[in-house]
Amino acid sequence: MIPTLAGRIQTRLFLFLFIGIPITLLYGLYWTGWQWDWRTIQIFVWFLCTITGLGLLLDPVYIFLQTTRWDRDWPFAYQFFFSWVEFGIVFFVARAGLIPYLPEFAFQGGQGLWIATLHFTLVFVPSFLFLLGPLQAIFVRWRFKGGQFGKM
Amino acid sequence: MITFPVRFRVRQIGIDGNTVGSSRILLCEEPGAFLIGKSQEADVPLTGDAVSRRHLSLVLSAEDVRVQDEGSTNGTYVNGTRVDEQVLAVGDQISIPGWILELLAAAESPASATRIAGVEVDASLVSRLVITDDDAPPPTRRTFPDAEFEGKETVGIEALRASGHPIEEVKFCAVGGGLGSFVWVDHLRCYGVPASDIRAIGTEEVCYQTYKRYCKNSQIPDHERLRSNALSRPDNIWGFPGYAMREVGKGIGVKGIFQVFGEPTLSESYTPRAGDVFDSLDVEAKRIGWSDMLLKAQVLGLRKTSDGRYAVAYKLWGGEASGQARNRFLIADAVHLSTGYPATRFVDDFQTFITNHPDARAQVANAYEPHDQMYVEAERRGGPVQFVVRGRGIVASRIIQRLSEARAKNPEIRILHSMRSAIGPRDGAVFRKARRLVRNNVEIQPFNWPKSCWGGDLRVEYENASEEDRGIMLSQLGGTTTAERSDWIAIAERGAEEGWYRPIYGTISDLAPLPPQGEKQPAGVQVSIDTQEGNREELNADYLVDCTGLIADIRRSPFLADLLDTYHLSRNHAYRLSDGRATKGGPTGLRCTNDFEIEGLRNGNGRVYAAGTITTGGPYLAVDSFLGLQYSALRSVDHLVTERIHKVRNLGPLRSLGGWAKWMTGARP
Repeated sequence: MIPTLAGRIQTRLFLFLFIGIPITLLYGLYWTGWQWDWRTIQIFVWFLCTITGLGLLLDPVYIFLQTTRWDRDWPFAYQFFFSWVEFGIVFFVARAGLIPYLPEFAFQGGQGLWIATLHFTLVFVPSFLFLLGPLQAIFVRWRFKGGQFGKM
Repeated sequence: MITFPVRFRVRQIGIDGNTVGSSRILLCEEPGAFLIGKSQEADVPLTGDAVSRRHLSLVLSAEDVRVQDEGSTNGTYVNGTRVDEQVLAVGDQISIPGWILELLAAAESPASATRIAGVEVDASLVSRLVITDDDAPPPTRRTFPDAEFEGKETVGIEALRASGHPIEEVKFCAVGGGLGSFVWVDHLRCYGVPASDIRAIGTEEVCYQTYKRYCKNSQIPDHERLRSNALSRPDNIWGFPGYAMREVGKGIGVKGIFQVFGEPTLSESYTPRAGDVFDSLDVEAKRIGWSDMLLKAQVLGLRKTSDGRYAVAYKLWGGEASGQARNRFLIADAVHLSTGYPATRFVDDFQTFITNHPDARAQVANAYEPHDQMYVEAERRGGPVQFVVRGRGIVASRIIQRLSEARAKNPEIRILHSMRSAIGPRDGAVFRKARRLVRNNVEIQPFNWPKSCWGGDLRVEYENASEEDRGIMLSQLGGTTTAERSDWIAIAERGAEEGWYRPIYGTISDLAPLPPQGEKQPAGVQVSIDTQEGNREELNADYLVDCTGLIADIRRSPFLADLLDTYHLSRNHAYRLSDGRATKGGPTGLRCTNDFEIEGLRNGNGRVYAAGTITTGGPYLAVDSFLGLQYSALRSVDHLVTERIHKVRNLGPLRSLGGWAKWMTGARP
């Protein structure tokens, strides 16, 4: 990957909107027994929003790290690794009860870890697979624009 | 009037269709008839089962040069057409089974011809790359299309019709017929342009013919890997799925996928096999109907027409037509130029040596020339054989690998690796905060430019920079590099330990032939090197392989030189940064816009685009790469879409996905 800052942000938001949110809603519905219970589902949605928000804050840091690399690129392996770092940070901060809109109890114990990890896995795997190439099939200019959408 | 000596380039063709050994020059010093055949009495004896004893004659007079079939069993062909008798023009190719003879232009000066003369046949060995001594394009004596084109900036369609040459009209014309043309045409087809609207003109049978020849010569056979990315697929405009995934599908292995995942930091960069690239190009060529669009012909000139289009003059190769009927015009609304490396020349000292010592030509070779016989001889010959490999790029790495393979047959092969200077681990090129990796005195980079030049921040920055800043970035980011491959590193380290590989630092100051001494000691070459310490080291080598590359000069292509002169086209320039100040160097590629349009050729609604090495120094750094060709094709076809003149539909997300699905299922676009 050779993303630019704008490309990182746009691709992140795209994957959030078109893969992350739908999967999260389905996942939330699953845990509410396929009943629309926004009070529960919103925990999943806000959790994903927080990870995305943290990612947006970290994107300039990643871009800085890229400039120290001769190829100014970002290996897929780094993308993989840092995605889980972002998840880990948000999870443990939420578990400590430091995120006001995320209820502390939802992240406690083995069950809290399991629910959140499964949630992120379900969102991350298709997002990451999309990054590996399928996005190029839909957006033929995307790979030349460092991850930005639109015309050249 | 014919100027003597008349020169033919003679090449032997193997069963696989590629040239065998070096090319040779046949010099005919005076008028007369020269018999070619298998017979002992033949003036030019050629071997081969399918060559007749008396195969053909070359009949030379003061007025013309003609070829005459002598009743051969398998026939004499000129540019692919079987002939009984035919007057030849410069560039015509006579082919008989196993051999090609090409009529060359007269030598620039009698001196440069007689230097190779004295020996009647097989005088000098000159490669397919046209080698000339000065800056002038090789002289031609053609008459077509001079009558219609000479001295005119614009030609009228009526005048062309009146000339009597066949004319065809299409919307899009790709000039070149190589990979660059193929990629552009592939984009047009995937954007929905029907094959009937497109013509590609070139002399290659398949679009990768020239590329494959360079690969073969520089010792990359089909099973070896190229220096290219998994997602840089010239047969797929989307670049997905990549070659690594294709290998999984073909059952070759999943290793590539893990390489792509970790590259370039945690694993060696994945690169595709040459043969896989060629195979997948064959599949795509069939899918888009490449052979229906291809005119096997040589492009001779291009002019603007008075109705806002372009006239392309070409000479058909092969087919039914002969004589003047082969000279034709194609009228097109939009033209794409991708003629690749024009006639190319070698570095100066190497060029001087082969000009002065044609007899020592078998001892020295540029890595891009056919030079397999060196390895074969070295393997066969017992006893020590010393190779000097010059240069530190990827080609040198591959040549050294080939030599280390040859050591299995002759363990006394020694490699002297000549490099200009030693590069310490911390001496790699610097660009702002980053420094290029160095291994064994060679700078390491996965591909020929830093990756972000293809689509990252450097692409954007370079595109938006001024001409001078572009030139400076080019000089800072460029340079000779090789890929980090564990087998290559192991060869250098083991070889140094065991004493059969030795790097030598310094500038090669002289090359001289070493005559053979008895049967035990065949001819060789003496290489003098001025070392950095100020000493002169003289090495007696058996062979020298020069891997310093080729110098591309677009003026050496008569076609491009004519365009430059007729339309006063601008060129890009090289820049060098010294003491913080940029100095302008020599001209490089054709100037074009960020959409790869050559503005100087704009003609009403007509547009001309370019791609590949002829655009060096332009809006993109990595023009000479698979992905670079795709980038420029995308830009220029997108430009056609934006302008809405030529009715090319945009490739938005839905149409893109649809086109990709067709690619995946092998359906025609």
